[in-house]
Amino acid sequence: MCHQTVSLAARYLEEQGIPTVIMGCAKDIVEYAGVPRFLFSDFPLGNPTGRPHDPESQAITLELALRVLETAPGPRTTMQNPLIWSDNPDWKLDFSNVARLSPEEIARRRAEFDRNKELARGVREQSQAAK
Amino acid sequence: MTDRPDGADQAPDHDVPIPYRERISTYYQTLGYGAPYRWAHYAEVPFTPLKKPLAKSRIGLVTTAAPYQPDKGDQGPGAAYNGAAKFYKVYSGDIATDHDLRISHIGYDRAHTTATDSNSWFPLPLLREVAKSGRFGELSPRFHGAPTNRSQRVTLEQDCPELYARLAEDKVDAAVLVAV
Repeated sequence: MCHQTVSLAARYLEEQGIPTVIMGCAKDIVEYAGVPRFLFSDFPLGNPTGRPHDPESQAITLELALRVLETAPGPRTTMQNPLIWSDNPDWKLDFSNVARLSPEEIARRRAEFDRNKELARGVREQSQAAK
Repeated sequence: MTDRPDGADQAPDHDVPIPYRERISTYYQTLGYGAPYRWAHYAEVPFTPLKKPLAKSRIGLVTTAAPYQPDKGDQGPGAAYNGAAKFYKVYSGDIATDHDLRISHIGYDRAHTTATDSNSWFPLPLLREVAKSGRFGELSPRFHGAPTNRSQRVTLEQDCPELYARLAEDKVDAAVLVAV
């Protein structure tokens, strides 16, 4: 939901007059929502600002975001970070790909998901009760 | 027949940005969760040009990462998804100090990354350095945390106005929003 949240926030801020740039790794979610400026890094979710333990890639990524912010000619400007995660693109086949999961693994994940939803509901109810 | 020269310069078919919406929909439907999620989708997109050069602009930072809460279970690096570590209200932090922000409350790619370097999702230390170089005018004194909520209504009616109010109070000229 992060990419959607940030996309909605960027849209809202721009409507109020604040220019924005999004840094993120989920191209389809951000572009489907429709945002003004977006630096897309084709990395696994969790690395929107560069590769881990690679300060040079982080510096390149931030500089690109700043350039997108200052030079975008109009809305829906997406730039793709030229850096890649790995020479082998096979990592892209794994994320939430049911075609790659066994029936046992699907059952295990279903149980885990139920448990986490309960936990999140508890936190939300506490948070609302505290208002 | 396609007349494509299949040399080594052609990328493999699956070397494309991951189609997350499709993957996630299929995933949850397979796990037995009813109607597919309807993602935000707008035809109209707002756009506000920068009002002054970046070198004179005050930049705000927005993140979806969460402050580490020692009483909320394993938050990584490498932790499983931890719904207890989520937050439900916008928070703000002082950019002058260091912050321990985690992403265990987010569905990041746990198979291929392990969240061992917060600089790959929270660029505050780097932004401080870049601000000193004069690349942009200055960093706003606070950064802001945006709650990630399945409910678009909650995001739009509660969290977006709150984020805007805080960024406006900080008098930012532009904002960098980082989606983990």
